[in-house]
Amino acid sequence: MMNKYSLLTSALLAAMTVAAPAMAESVLRLDEVAVGELDPAKASDYADSILMFNVYDTLVLPQQGGPGHTPHLAASWENDGATYTFTLRDDVKFQSGNPLRAEDVVYSIERMQALGAGLSYLFAGVTTAAVDENTVTFTLEAPYAPFVASLVRLPIVDKALIEANSDEEWGGDFLSANAAGTGAYGVRSHNPQEETVMTKSDSYFLGVPDVAPDTVRLRYGLEPATVRTLIAQGEHDIASQWLPPEVISALAKDGAQLLTEAGTGGFYFKMNTTKAPLDDVNCRLALSHAFDYSTAIQMIAINDEVSAGSPSTGAIPVGMFGANSANMQMSQDLDKAKEYLAACKYDAADMNIEVSWIAEVPLEERFALLMQSNFSQLGIKSEIQKMPWALFAEQVSKPENTPHISQLFVNAVTGDPDTLLYGMYHSSTPGTWQSPEHLNDAEVDQHLVAGRSASSDAERTEAYSALNARLLAIAPTIYGFDRQSVFAASNRVKVPAMSDASQAFGLDGMGFSFRLMEMVE
Amino acid sequence: MRTLRILARNPLSVVGLVLVLLIIFAAVFAQYIVPYPTHNGSVIDFAFANKPPSARNWFGTDLVGRDIFSRIIYAYQISLTLGVVVLAVATPIGTIIGLLAGYVGGWVENVLMRLVDIFLSIPPLVLAIAMMGVLEPTLTNAMLAVTVVWWPWYARLVYSIARAEREEGYVLAAEVIGASAVHISFREILPNCLPAIITKMTLDMGFVIIIASSLSFLGLGVQPPTPDLGSMVAEGARYLPDSWWLSVFPGLAILVAVFGFNLLGDGLREILSVDK
Repeated sequence: MMNKYSLLTSALLAAMTVAAPAMAESVLRLDEVAVGELDPAKASDYADSILMFNVYDTLVLPQQGGPGHTPHLAASWENDGATYTFTLRDDVKFQSGNPLRAEDVVYSIERMQALGAGLSYLFAGVTTAAVDENTVTFTLEAPYAPFVASLVRLPIVDKALIEANSDEEWGGDFLSANAAGTGAYGVRSHNPQEETVMTKSDSYFLGVPDVAPDTVRLRYGLEPATVRTLIAQGEHDIASQWLPPEVISALAKDGAQLLTEAGTGGFYFKMNTTKAPLDDVNCRLALSHAFDYSTAIQMIAINDEVSAGSPSTGAIPVGMFGANSANMQMSQDLDKAKEYLAACKYDAADMNIEVSWIAEVPLEERFALLMQSNFSQLGIKSEIQKMPWALFAEQVSKPENTPHISQLFVNAVTGDPDTLLYGMYHSSTPGTWQSPEHLNDAEVDQHLVAGRSASSDAERTEAYSALNARLLAIAPTIYGFDRQSVFAASNRVKVPAMSDASQAFGLDGMGFSFRLMEMVE
Repeated sequence: MRTLRILARNPLSVVGLVLVLLIIFAAVFAQYIVPYPTHNGSVIDFAFANKPPSARNWFGTDLVGRDIFSRIIYAYQISLTLGVVVLAVATPIGTIIGLLAGYVGGWVENVLMRLVDIFLSIPPLVLAIAMMGVLEPTLTNAMLAVTVVWWPWYARLVYSIARAEREEGYVLAAEVIGASAVHISFREILPNCLPAIITKMTLDMGFVIIIASSLSFLGLGVQPPTPDLGSMVAEGARYLPDSWWLSVFPGLAILVAVFGFNLLGDGLREILSVDK
């Protein structure tokens, strides 16, 4: 066995030596939190999105530097009431060499609907049909205003390749370890706990510029101190946004550049509304009024210019439909908190609030301590629980296993408020890491449906304003701050989509489109 | 007096004694001697967060602005309590089992000592981690886990002495006049094991502190905001090399405690063997 293995290794080494180009290969190295989910239908968190946006393509892309969407795999589209008709480009080939056809689009969306994982809820009630080889229609059961926006989360997979390589109905075994996309980068190796290595695809339909990295190594689960050292030694390029602010700021002082991805999301302290004492709205209001919002803002400042967020004004980040204006900042009010606590049916002395924090995000431990200190001002005891991300994501699927308070950064996965709020608060969405509130409120449901089905922007604004007011009144969540992602990066790489506002996508994770990055050297 | 003279002949053990006494004194009177007595709880002071050592905070402050010197003294309370409780429980259990196996012999010896062998065959830290993985991470459970790991070493030690003493004249004499097995074990043999037990306990204090710190380093011990040396090192390690004071001082605190108990243990061994 050993012999075979080493033979194989030397054979591979020999092959690589022969194949190595004369010019030095440019390598981009970055890191994220484990697990890296390669199956695009199951992609939901940041690491998954980075993989998805590079290995797969979508019919449309967000317009860079402004609102709206531009055609990508699609050449054009038309909208007639509940039906959207997309014409596909005819020059697109998958990495396998198979041409892109309408049936691939149908297969991709039906696969998402069948698996029901990741962001599949975006496509519930959509019927898809291939009219001819290059035309596909989507028929919506109910009007859904942000449908085109949601297509940025519909990665198109290679039906023929999957069916040739897998016996499973939807090829889950194949797609969790292999690439089957049209994307600018192919997968050379993938270990969801350690590292995914991606290489430039030669056959990309838009072409990949020479300056874009030839190889990308996305590593999972690096310690902040390790990232700090690796960047200082020139052995790492882009650190994950989960580094504590002190480390990002130390890196910036040493000359690292700071990349930002502007906020389409918020940092939320989510309360389990099914578990005593937080099933009582007055208790939740007491906690949300006790939280020290201004200290939280101080804690996330990187330096004088850059911060990982701005003050929250409610459930909806400033700038989106229905958001409160930027001067209506949330603030601590202990007197009000005490009033609410007195109205709560549970006795403060008996409470023991579980405040969890995600082990991979050290900053959250400080928020946990902040909450513990704030709550103790009301005489409420609390207990801090450290949970690894993988464990947390599994536990929250059941209300009884979900801690009282979960700390999460949630963003609008399509840039539209519907995808920020529907998955968090609608009673029909299953328990995911986005919805540890397990909220079940008829009025919230009603506003959410109104927001997604209204046809004009004015009606949508009205629905989301009402939703915002209702959410503040029943406080399922402590709205910490509107978040902006900050990444410390070496100067070996230029990332216009995350350093130049006119090139920004306004969609989380899309800044990591490697084909738009430029390697210096 | 004689004890003190022997101790004084070995200056290193005097250093050990002084360190141990200092640590015990600081832990017992922590409330009165630390500069920031409230900093063992969920206090936060972001104006002074993450500051290097200064006249205001001798060992600097942590990421939420708590005084690290104060927290180290409080952490000694936890470490010493844990060490004392673990040894106070593990030593009698181990001693009784060792005495029984060593004096009674036969199938009792076989059963007990094979059980001890099973426990000793698993690396102590691995066994403790496995136990803490199942139990809730609290101070009591950490004590329980370390105790389960610890008693077999005492059983082994006492057993080997008891076996040797079993054949000694004074034991045979006691048997001849009809003394009970309990009397012989506890009144005749045990006093001869005590010097070795006491020496081992002193040396073990340091090791128990290390194991407990390792557990909390891995997040399996005492939970925040209670200060604990192991978890302070673990949290601080993320911010190396910039905020070195977060982990270096708690690390030194572990070193000093373990060093002190080891030196004292060595000194005691010398004294007690001279006595014998």
